[in-house]
Amino acid sequence: MDFAIALQKLASYRPRRNPTYKKTFDDGLPLLDSDGWKRRADSWEFLEVLALAALDSERYDVSDRCIKHLVEKFGNSPRVDVLSGIRIEAMGKPEIALEYYNRLLEDDPTNSAAWRRKAYVLRIMGKLDKSVEELTALLDTFYNEVDGWVELAEVYHLCNQYNYALQALSHALLLAPQNPFYVLEFAEIAYASGDMPLAVKMFLVTVDMTDDEDAPITSYQMDVTLRAWYGVKLSLRRLAPDTRSPSQTTLPANAEIIGKLAMERLQHAYEQRTQGVSTPQSEDDLLEWASTTLKPTPQA
Amino acid sequence: MSSSTISLYLDPQIRDWVLFPITVVMILVGVLRHYIVTLLQTPPKKLTRAAIREQRAVLRSQVLRATAAKSPIPPHIYHAISLHLDDAFAAGKYLKDGPLKPGEAPPAAPNILSDPNAMDGMMAGMKAQMVMMVPQMVIMGWINFFFQGFVLIKLPFPLTLGFKSMLQRGIETPDMDVRWVSSLSWYFLNFFGLNGLYRLILGSDNSASQSSQEMVSPFAGAVQQGQPGQPMDYHKIFSAERDNLQFAEGLYNWLGDDVETRVLRKYGKLPSPSSESS
Repeated sequence: MDFAIALQKLASYRPRRNPTYKKTFDDGLPLLDSDGWKRRADSWEFLEVLALAALDSERYDVSDRCIKHLVEKFGNSPRVDVLSGIRIEAMGKPEIALEYYNRLLEDDPTNSAAWRRKAYVLRIMGKLDKSVEELTALLDTFYNEVDGWVELAEVYHLCNQYNYALQALSHALLLAPQNPFYVLEFAEIAYASGDMPLAVKMFLVTVDMTDDEDAPITSYQMDVTLRAWYGVKLSLRRLAPDTRSPSQTTLPANAEIIGKLAMERLQHAYEQRTQGVSTPQSEDDLLEWASTTLKPTPQA
Repeated sequence: MSSSTISLYLDPQIRDWVLFPITVVMILVGVLRHYIVTLLQTPPKKLTRAAIREQRAVLRSQVLRATAAKSPIPPHIYHAISLHLDDAFAAGKYLKDGPLKPGEAPPAAPNILSDPNAMDGMMAGMKAQMVMMVPQMVIMGWINFFFQGFVLIKLPFPLTLGFKSMLQRGIETPDMDVRWVSSLSWYFLNFFGLNGLYRLILGSDNSASQSSQEMVSPFAGAVQQGQPGQPMDYHKIFSAERDNLQFAEGLYNWLGDDVETRVLRKYGKLPSPSSESS
């Protein structure tokens, strides 16, 4: 794996977000015990993955063993540094982790991964203002950290600062224009901020990006599309002809046909997923189903 | 007299004591060179935060401009970013040493020789080149001194006369068959032909096989190595970027502008544009 990408991944690590950590841990532990990991082609990456999985499974002794091997081999590589930092975070004492990251940054002020972790630690300590400050300073220097922008948008979203969240997210959109998850998130924040015309437009952009006739009906991609259709419908409902958009977005043309099409797509998905056993009684039933069935967007 | 009628008999000693040694020495020197270059390589100097910021500032506007014609972000944000960047570039906010004071002239383009950081980069390149050149010169001298005029090997296939200068360097005989290879030519054949072997022994990014790139252009490697250390005149780059931003402003078009029509057309709810216009 590319070093820079690996660092970015570590920087955006969140506890227990990886859905397969249990399996990774159970599969990996015997290999660690029997020294079988040494024979793997990706032995060091394997240790890193196992260390994180062990942290997720709260087996700190195992992750300590992995990190010890890595420290012996790579010494003061920033990647190992950050991994050790994550281990310190897992102890539940953010102050110590914060101090650790501060020390890393003193040694090397350009260690962006440590900087990102520091912002995250500040965030879990509840110092959202400090976290935003750090992230802004970080992104001012390292503009192209997409995950950093998404994180900043998240923090702003937490504080209901929708406008700032949208601005931060647009940088992520610029940097990764091919990622529909960011567009969907943008649309959802626009919806939350009450800017319905903008939300409709962005939901439709998501649809335009993701709808693919051949995608299996239960795929992730389909979920994104359906969620976007659902968003379209909801925003259209809250859209009155005299709605004023804070962003001066024009009202969508043919709003009525779009609304109908959205319902059609949702109905289609409903029938396919329930195998035609039942039909939704009303529009509200269908929306109710959509809100419960469509999973929240995974963090890409 | 025809050259094919006369057969040259090569002493097997030549094979054992000249042909093989030249090849083996060249392979070993290549391998050694790889390790020396690896040892000589200093890790690239770390940039300070301010320097990185300066370097990446251009990236911001480049990223913004790259998608301007079909921008994923709505106009109010696009114009805000564009304006902000324009202001920042004009005021020199991203410059490493801070914005210019009023009345202060922009510094002249930095001289590559006076900048110690740049010198480091140049020295590294020079060192690598020295390691490349010196052994080759020594081997060539060795061959010239001991084996001058030796005929080492006969190629198993016929060749045209044009190859004479390539295969019989160091032997001034107009009549000899082109298939005979002289010692100096054997050296050159090895010099260019061993790259594949080095790749096999040392992996694809070894520093032994660079010789061919060096031969194509001495600057080919230098540009790559010199890039990070090379001083750039960010004043000029930023002012050029301002023009580009203004240009992109004219190109700007939001992806969401007509997205509803596009989607409806895709699902056949609206007539397609061709039938509309007819």
